[in-house]
Amino acid sequence: MNNHEQILNVEGLNVYYGTTHAVQNVSFDVKRGEIFGLLGPNGAGKTSTLSAIEGLLNYHSGSISVAGHNNKAKPLHAKAALGVQLQSTSFQPELTILEILQLYAGIYGLSLRKEELMGKLQDIKLADAANKKFGQLSGGQQQRVSLVIATIHTPQLVLLDEPTTGLDPQSRRQLWERIEGIREKGHGVLLTTHSMEEAQSVCDRIGIIDHGKVIEVNTPEALIEKHKDEPEVIRVSRKGRITLEDVFIALTGTEIRS
Amino acid sequence: MEINIPKSSTVFSALLRADFTTQWRNRRSAVLALLIPVIILISWKGIIVKYGGAFVLSSSIALGLVAIGLMGYTNSVARDRDKGIFQRLRVAPIPSWAIMISRLTVQLTMILIVTICVFITGYYVDGIHLSAVGYLLTVISALVGGAVYLSLGQMIVGLIKNPETVNSTTRLVYFVFIITGMIGGLGFLGDIAQKLARWSPYGTVQTMLAGSLQPDLWHNETTMALLVTLGYTLFFAFMGIKKFKWNTR
Repeated sequence: MNNHEQILNVEGLNVYYGTTHAVQNVSFDVKRGEIFGLLGPNGAGKTSTLSAIEGLLNYHSGSISVAGHNNKAKPLHAKAALGVQLQSTSFQPELTILEILQLYAGIYGLSLRKEELMGKLQDIKLADAANKKFGQLSGGQQQRVSLVIATIHTPQLVLLDEPTTGLDPQSRRQLWERIEGIREKGHGVLLTTHSMEEAQSVCDRIGIIDHGKVIEVNTPEALIEKHKDEPEVIRVSRKGRITLEDVFIALTGTEIRS
Repeated sequence: MEINIPKSSTVFSALLRADFTTQWRNRRSAVLALLIPVIILISWKGIIVKYGGAFVLSSSIALGLVAIGLMGYTNSVARDRDKGIFQRLRVAPIPSWAIMISRLTVQLTMILIVTICVFITGYYVDGIHLSAVGYLLTVISALVGGAVYLSLGQMIVGLIKNPETVNSTTRLVYFVFIITGMIGGLGFLGDIAQKLARWSPYGTVQTMLAGSLQPDLWHNETTMALLVTLGYTLFFAFMGIKKFKWNTR
């Protein structure tokens, strides 16, 4: 397996909502065995970019290729290579966790026996919750189930849209380990997050997007190194030591976005 | 890189199993769709002599069909869209139409169940006996009639995004159909109201069902009702598909 092989290639992506140019000529790639973080303030174009990759949004121009399949020319091939955890994941509230797993295994063409599905729940320490409804689980448990469903078909690329939002530190650490586990298996991971701590701890490379444009792509360390002496970064830093958050704030501005 | 696309049959059976389970766990709307026609059938026993068994039976089935199309299908689609359930399904390698066809299959099964329950109640409680051809034709007509209300529901959910507004709209339309059927159709509101009722989406289905119950009495107006029913279905479905958005953003 070539770990430098591109598993996702986004080239010159443009998305419009009416006359609003939400994503402007965005290009980046994600390699096998890499966790790539897409960071940006609210409304920067992260979710639109992710939606275009997921095939939920019809983009105006550019190209998106997942595992070598253009997602407009071969949408089902591209989707089959993707595992997705949406920002606000919701499953049919009438179904139990086991039934939801059964549904998604079937949708991805897997014929898993009940014992195999229970094994997957055992892996995330939720075997006891097999007959519970998704809404009866805590936030952390819901995220674990969502991640199992996103990876049930061992996809080549996993998209995680703000996976740790609202989780307590224990659940967040546990989820980070699971995300790193996905990377260790050689899959690519693209995640969006507002947590700079998460980006710095988990991501191999980071793309900062603002006003629909990618303004920087680099490793967290290289980004800090590159910008640490800039006056604006020093001005916004709070504890004397320059962090990724300081660089991010300096690059994207201090005003609150809606 | 080798990618395996799941077989359509595997995907569809997984969707169907989930949708039938959802319908089963969500029995309240199903029971409502089943009870209303049965209650009408029992309570209208007294007017069978005046208006005939075919009229009572067809009215009961038509109201059951409206309940399934408007209350069952439409509200569940509006809810699932609002909660992002469709978006989660659509990121999987399945064609969008498969999601809807699975839902519609469940509703068509419900239509069959309601129709059979009305037949059984009509037979045992009201003594309404039909020929084998009559039963068969009525089942087919019920499916055709059900399609009108499912497509009407699709149009409502296509035009309105908010699930609560969809819910209140379907209740309002359902109420209008009950008034149309029970009062307008019987001529209590005058000739014009009766004519309007006869050619409304409720009236044409009821006429078609009444004609199917007694195939020997099928006449030109029944054929016209069938054609108008198909016209309504095409129009509602066209609007419903054209205007439908998979998410509420």
